[in-house]
Amino acid sequence: MQILITALVLGGISAVLAAIISVADAVLNNYGDVKLTVNGSKSYTVKGGSTLLTTLAGEKIFVPSACGGKGSCGLCKVKVLSDIGPILPTELPYLTTKEKSENVRLSCQVKVKGDISIEIPEGLFNIREYASTVSTIKDLTHDIKEVFFSFDDDINFRAGQYVQLIVPPYGEIKESTMRAYSMSSQPSIKNGVELLIRLVPNGIVTTYVHKYLKEKDEVRLLGPFGDFFLRNTDADIIFIAGGSGMAPIKSIILDMKEKGIKRNAYYFFGARSKKDLFYLDLMREIEKEVPNFHFIPALSSPLPEDNWQGEFGLITDVVDRYLTEQGEIEREGYLCGSPGMINACITVLGKHKIPENRIYFDKFG
Amino acid sequence: MKQTPDLGKVQENMKAGQITGPGFLGSDERNLIDIIREDEQKISELGLTNEIIADKLEMLMRQGEKGFGSPIVVDNRFVVIVDESRGYVPCPFRHGNLSKKVNVNVRSMALKKDIDYTPISIHLIREHGFYQGKGSLYRLDPEEVAKFLELI
Repeated sequence: MQILITALVLGGISAVLAAIISVADAVLNNYGDVKLTVNGSKSYTVKGGSTLLTTLAGEKIFVPSACGGKGSCGLCKVKVLSDIGPILPTELPYLTTKEKSENVRLSCQVKVKGDISIEIPEGLFNIREYASTVSTIKDLTHDIKEVFFSFDDDINFRAGQYVQLIVPPYGEIKESTMRAYSMSSQPSIKNGVELLIRLVPNGIVTTYVHKYLKEKDEVRLLGPFGDFFLRNTDADIIFIAGGSGMAPIKSIILDMKEKGIKRNAYYFFGARSKKDLFYLDLMREIEKEVPNFHFIPALSSPLPEDNWQGEFGLITDVVDRYLTEQGEIEREGYLCGSPGMINACITVLGKHKIPENRIYFDKFG
Repeated sequence: MKQTPDLGKVQENMKAGQITGPGFLGSDERNLIDIIREDEQKISELGLTNEIIADKLEMLMRQGEKGFGSPIVVDNRFVVIVDESRGYVPCPFRHGNLSKKVNVNVRSMALKKDIDYTPISIHLIREHGFYQGKGSLYRLDPEEVAKFLELI
């Protein structure tokens, strides 16, 4: 009997303590309404307590974020003009010395606890959220899907830019998750966008797309973002991509075709074996229709059954061979692929006198 | 040794869906401190250190990176394929470390067996002595990985 009473008393004390903690949490973490000033001219009254990224999204101001606020992409930088305390350890790896001195912060890590004033690029006011319906899903390779998302509104973007795909909670994933994907469709298509999504082992969003997403499903997209687009010069163009890095390059090439841009363009596309190649027919068609466009697929590890007669070797070696043969010409580089591949390509392009400020790539990773 | 509240928070970060889809704990329901202690003891019994294991895993990854996704033969003993994705994975201990999103597949030519790991696996072993929970996709059992890497 005494044991039972003791257990009841302890249980009661625990319940009271839990209630006190709960009330204290609500009171202490209730920051009330705070004033958010953006670029000195726009003011919003917002509820305090959330991250700056979430708070801005609540006002339909979408700061780029490839990881959806997990503090792992470093894209959601904003300049904070108010004193909001020291930079957090989770922000440090992403900030340069200059950014630290200018009080640039990761908006996903900073909490809005009081009045705050920030500066963001004016272009971010044009970012919109699109409620889309999945029209088609096609397998391009064993691990890349082409998905077309339709929506009622028009989207205006530059070929090469990206959107953020927001997938709902599923399985063990308790929150909506956001990831950035380049658009592979061209800007003339206004009522939707096409994305190429490669299955990343254990990737939250790519697993959802590959295992759960179905045609007619509804998902949200944010965009457009990014400064990866074709520059208006006369220089020869060197495109280099691998895997789903095809996406923005395809968009740019289709846009060039539609606009009648006739610049010399060489597109080097690297894959391991034939099963990793796709859009070969499309690229060959474009080669016929667009003067001066050359598509050069290369396999690094072709299988015997591939009977591969094309370029062979690491994509960097293939590019090096071509550029050596061509000699010194004014060129620009446009790269999309894994960070390792991009770094190696920058080295090869540099060897051929293409300066780093004329080599463009998106900075997701 | 008891699990501290700080380690409890780290263990929360390690659960499925927090930082990565599958998380770092697998089906292991033990306290993080107990998972680390058991593996620490095994490493000590083997006469190894976390650094020795992490160094070998990192060396293989660095060699494999030269292939941009294609197989690279290392020391005529291992075939390494490094598959890189965009983005980073923050360390669940949340001290600011970021590891690239990479899958490293290593095949032992002698044992005809494969292991898979990631840069965060190497970091967790080297800095935190954490080989991941039992049942985790990327768990590297200390004794098995030591044999695989030809360290014992």
